[in-house]
Amino acid sequence: MASSREDETINTLRERLGQGLLNSWVSRPRRAYVHVRQGSHREAISALLNRFPETTISTITALDLGGEIELNYHLWCDGTVLTVRVTVPKSNPVTETVTDIIPGAALYEREVFDLFGVRFTGHPDLRRLLLSDDWPSGQYPLRKDWSPGAGLPLKAPPSRIGNPDMRDASSIVNVVVGPQHPALHEPERFLFKLDGETVLDVETRIGYVHRGIEKAAESLMFFQNVHLVERICGICNVAHTVCFCQAVEEIGRVEVPPRAECLRVIIAELNRIHSHLLLLGVAGLEVGFETLFQYIWRDRETVLDLVEGLTGNRIMAEYNTIGGVRRDISPSIAQTILREMRNLRKRTSFYREVFESDPTLELRTKGIGRLRRPEALKLCVVGPVARASGVDSDIRRDDPYAAYEDAPFNVPVYDEGDVWARLMVRVDEVAESINLIEYAVENMPSGPFRVRVARRQPEGEALSRVEAPRGELLHYVKSNGSAYPERVKVRTPTLANIISFREMVKGYYVADIPAILVSLDPCFACTDRVALVDADSGRKWICNLRDLRSDRWRKQP
Amino acid sequence: MLRVGLTNWARRKSPWVLHFNSGACNACDIEVVALLTPRYDVERFGILLKPTPRHADVLVATGPVTRQCAQRLKRIYEQMPDPKFVVAVGACACSGGVFRKCYNVIKGVDKVIPVDVYVPGCPPRPEAIIDGIVKLLKEVGG
Repeated sequence: MASSREDETINTLRERLGQGLLNSWVSRPRRAYVHVRQGSHREAISALLNRFPETTISTITALDLGGEIELNYHLWCDGTVLTVRVTVPKSNPVTETVTDIIPGAALYEREVFDLFGVRFTGHPDLRRLLLSDDWPSGQYPLRKDWSPGAGLPLKAPPSRIGNPDMRDASSIVNVVVGPQHPALHEPERFLFKLDGETVLDVETRIGYVHRGIEKAAESLMFFQNVHLVERICGICNVAHTVCFCQAVEEIGRVEVPPRAECLRVIIAELNRIHSHLLLLGVAGLEVGFETLFQYIWRDRETVLDLVEGLTGNRIMAEYNTIGGVRRDISPSIAQTILREMRNLRKRTSFYREVFESDPTLELRTKGIGRLRRPEALKLCVVGPVARASGVDSDIRRDDPYAAYEDAPFNVPVYDEGDVWARLMVRVDEVAESINLIEYAVENMPSGPFRVRVARRQPEGEALSRVEAPRGELLHYVKSNGSAYPERVKVRTPTLANIISFREMVKGYYVADIPAILVSLDPCFACTDRVALVDADSGRKWICNLRDLRSDRWRKQP
Repeated sequence: MLRVGLTNWARRKSPWVLHFNSGACNACDIEVVALLTPRYDVERFGILLKPTPRHADVLVATGPVTRQCAQRLKRIYEQMPDPKFVVAVGACACSGGVFRKCYNVIKGVDKVIPVDVYVPGCPPRPEAIIDGIVKLLKEVGG
């Protein structure tokens, strides 16, 4: 048998590590695993980076095996998802960081530290990521021996805001944004360090919406979990269910009928269009172009009508299930979809013209919040953010799933790396999604739309990746042979992209912050209550986002 | 509740709304925002979304309330001027919903602040949210 790409990747590691490589296997095309000796993961990852400089890290999955904690570094390397596996003893969970060789891993290591208590030596900023500020130390919720005790007491949050290290130079002002916002999306807090109007640095605090889904998934059956993962995110819910169902189908070796795969493409692309239109509208709002917001959201309603016609629900599609989809497409819905797609294509080309030529948008977006290609690769950003910085990656093409292998579509890539490019990528993607939906409706295979699947799944593990509207979404599922999963790990695209916000915002003006944030399309888009703190006197005053937009923020009440 | 006729009349005609996500999945949140857009257009009831609690009469709260958000939600409620009303939108905000068993949630908005109207659904349709707010306005008008 000819040496495949997967074998070549593994051989690279075998040459470098020798005895340090304990075991290696390829579970299916584009999925390779290597188990390395404790402490060798750094060497393995740097060897991969030497051989394939464009290697990126997707996430780190930790598992509690009882006596040890297993760490899985999921890397995207030369067209293969390579998982580097290493174990650390639970009694002394300490291992070396990889953030110096692959900076995109910084948040994933903090996540593992927060939820499993693994300490990464040499990590520059190993602090809490998701759990609340008053969470008791020494409690690691995702360990198997941890269970939610009877009511952890709630304490008031600390009154002091921010990091004292930032209160250094006299002209520097700290601006705290969040956690509450005016329009949509989740609470999140940012601490901006300003010199006059220029942003010097930003510190992000996430975790306001951390609910503990990964732990809850372990106490629900696979079929119940489909409904739970659907509610990880209300906007890209279809991406989550497709991703989770594919992982379970891989474990159970379920053959999904071609018709179901084609229907999954239709619902996933409808979901992408609705998510992108939502973001483009909000972007219009944030740069002070409210008419555009109203226009785009009006067109978005037609997409939601199609989703409702196809699935029965406007937002939570509840369409995918393990083994296929839950409803077939009727000929009348198919005709409606085709008709509405023709209308939407006209609207999209109009919006493209607006984004290309409108002077307001040009002034507020071009050359703002730049992220260059080398930084984008280093920070391992995903999806439209990566594509706007010249990184040509799309899971639908590079690691095809569902019926994307045969479907014709282009991957729009822009080199500018600014806010404008990030919005244009999405406008172009809406047009591509329309083509994909038309292709899928017209080339719908006949046959069943689902197969019955047993409740119990065999022992095994699977890694599933999906191109969600915001980028690569990853689900890792491990089964222990029962009807309940042993571990479900989810890496959402926003976690991969939020790390790049710091790079984008440095050196730009306060008024650019909303536009830059929204161009990331994080699952939180706007900022509401801004407390301005003068570092000298400790004086605070409040202004809202509207004042921030209209440049009245310096005025004190 | 304040029973001055003129104030209540004014309040019924223009309830200003603050939206706060206390850990929701965004589904309810985008439906709340959809209320402002041309198809639903709640401005015809005088409803305006406000960015700060100090201007709001009605708090529209979504989400099961995470530990990290609980105190913030309370603080935001306390910042609103009296009389104030709370609408819990979505199954999570009513009872914790699908996240009931998660370790990091408080299971509903009414565990932290008093709730006047519950709008169930996952997510509730925009029509249901409008219905909830209109019911609240009837209550206010007496």
